[in-house]
Amino acid sequence: MRFGFIKTLCVLWLAAIVLLALSAPFITSADPYTPVSDMLQSPSYHPPLGTDALGRDFFARTAYGARLSLSIPLLSTLLTVLIGTTFSLTAITAGRLSDRIILTIANAALAIPGLLLAMLLVAGFGPRLSTIVLAVGLGGIPGFIRLSRSIFLGIKEMGYIDAAYALGASRTRVAIAHMLPNAAPQLFSLATTHFAWAFMGTTTLTFLGLSGDPSFPEWGAMLNSGRMHLIQAPWLTIVPGILISLTILAVHYLGENYADN
Amino acid sequence: MVSKSHRRTALLAVIRRLLEGVGTAWAAVTLAFFALRFASGDPVASLLSQGLASPEQADEIRISLGLNAPLWLQYLRFLTNLLHGDLGSSLYTHRSVSQIILEQFPSTAVLAVSGLIAAILLGLILGITAAWFGKRASGMIAATIAALATSIPVAFAGILSLLIAGCLLQGPGSANGMLIRLILPAMVLGFASSGPIARVIHSGLSESLRSPFILAARARGIRRGFRLLWHALKPSLPPVISLTALEAAFLFTGTVVTETVFSRPGLGRLLVKSILDGDFPIALGLVALAAIFYTISHVFADLLTLVIDPRLRRAE
Repeated sequence: MRFGFIKTLCVLWLAAIVLLALSAPFITSADPYTPVSDMLQSPSYHPPLGTDALGRDFFARTAYGARLSLSIPLLSTLLTVLIGTTFSLTAITAGRLSDRIILTIANAALAIPGLLLAMLLVAGFGPRLSTIVLAVGLGGIPGFIRLSRSIFLGIKEMGYIDAAYALGASRTRVAIAHMLPNAAPQLFSLATTHFAWAFMGTTTLTFLGLSGDPSFPEWGAMLNSGRMHLIQAPWLTIVPGILISLTILAVHYLGENYADN
Repeated sequence: MVSKSHRRTALLAVIRRLLEGVGTAWAAVTLAFFALRFASGDPVASLLSQGLASPEQADEIRISLGLNAPLWLQYLRFLTNLLHGDLGSSLYTHRSVSQIILEQFPSTAVLAVSGLIAAILLGLILGITAAWFGKRASGMIAATIAALATSIPVAFAGILSLLIAGCLLQGPGSANGMLIRLILPAMVLGFASSGPIARVIHSGLSESLRSPFILAARARGIRRGFRLLWHALKPSLPPVISLTALEAAFLFTGTVVTETVFSRPGLGRLLVKSILDGDFPIALGLVALAAIFYTISHVFADLLTLVIDPRLRRAE
């Protein structure tokens, strides 16, 4: 298997981000919620990334921010993949009529851009961090149904599916024991690119202040609150901005090149 | 010579596509209505919890908004009112939602259209450069910029542009109002939407450059630049048109962020404000209109491709 230079860089970057999230309490002793010193201090030996507008240690906020910024889109991607796969698998195996119904609903829902659907759901649920998980997860379902349906459609044409039916397997058994495992690699690739979308969507929603409480250390929300001090403290926006951009870039690249080998 | 029956099938295809569009718009609006109701439960609850209305007043508001009626009746009312251009009234200011939206519309329309123009120009430049120079440095740089355009969030691109403009112009709030108010936001929005366009042009051009008809053009003695910009580019343009229709969706969510970053009035900020306030009629009205607009642009793009691309016309 060829493992390119850029691919290695992407994997290393994502590993570093995950490590940052996991080891947040060990690499910094500061609390992300309480002020440690004067506000808007420049990066220095201590605190390493300076302080934000409320005097909170910005490195601690960035490190703890990795936890929220990664787990929110991860949870919503999980929601999307579970519900989306269930629907598309049902559409493909349960017969013509159910396929027709599910596809029609998914196509209609796609006329509302996913992020806009998520915003509408946030409007309904109320702007909170937990509702963003739900809204981004549900908002991504229509697109995921359509793409995963075409994966299952390709698998359905395979000879071994006919063979399974010929051996007397039920539709449920074919769906769960034959179609799902064989679609797994492609579904994983799809889920990876979907994670990049969910990550982008989450940071957009939190950037717009839709998480309700701006004290949560989350990169999108940090990008928003740092914006007020762009001239005096540009690192407050540049650090989360670069972290978000590079993470999306890495996930995109890996997701697109996963199918190649 | 186009025969009569041929023309009739083409007309049928157009009508079919238009009807499909109406159906999709209806279904999307319906979905938006029920998604909001499913998520919110009682729309007046937020007024109650904020202490903006007493329980008696809340009952009154419910009756005046028709929220005490069964859901299907509310839905039918919403739909008939929508057909009459009536989107209800704001929960807080009691002003007509269609009027509020109409006031903010021009600002967003100007931003979106200039953003779209910037996106198409930038996408064309990046895509053509990437395809023409291929593996050489300038081609790789163009491809990298296109990849960055899809990965950098609009918010961060906007902030960076403000930072750079601030440094270049020595300090914020300098006299260059037009630059901050329109050119910079449009460029940021265009940059963010240019990635997919650049990619489609890049792959389309690379493919047609390998095709025999380019070799034939070369054999006829047609110059390289003309070959690239006319012969090779032409067949890769139809996908760009349908992509641009898809971009219209992205453009709307992009304007939400861009308007916030640049503190520009418009529909995007109206949407964010209505979500934060819990002003449902405005949020629902905006999403419904966005869905309708998106469907129209989709249908329009499909028809346009049909007109432009002779290969599709023959297949119909």
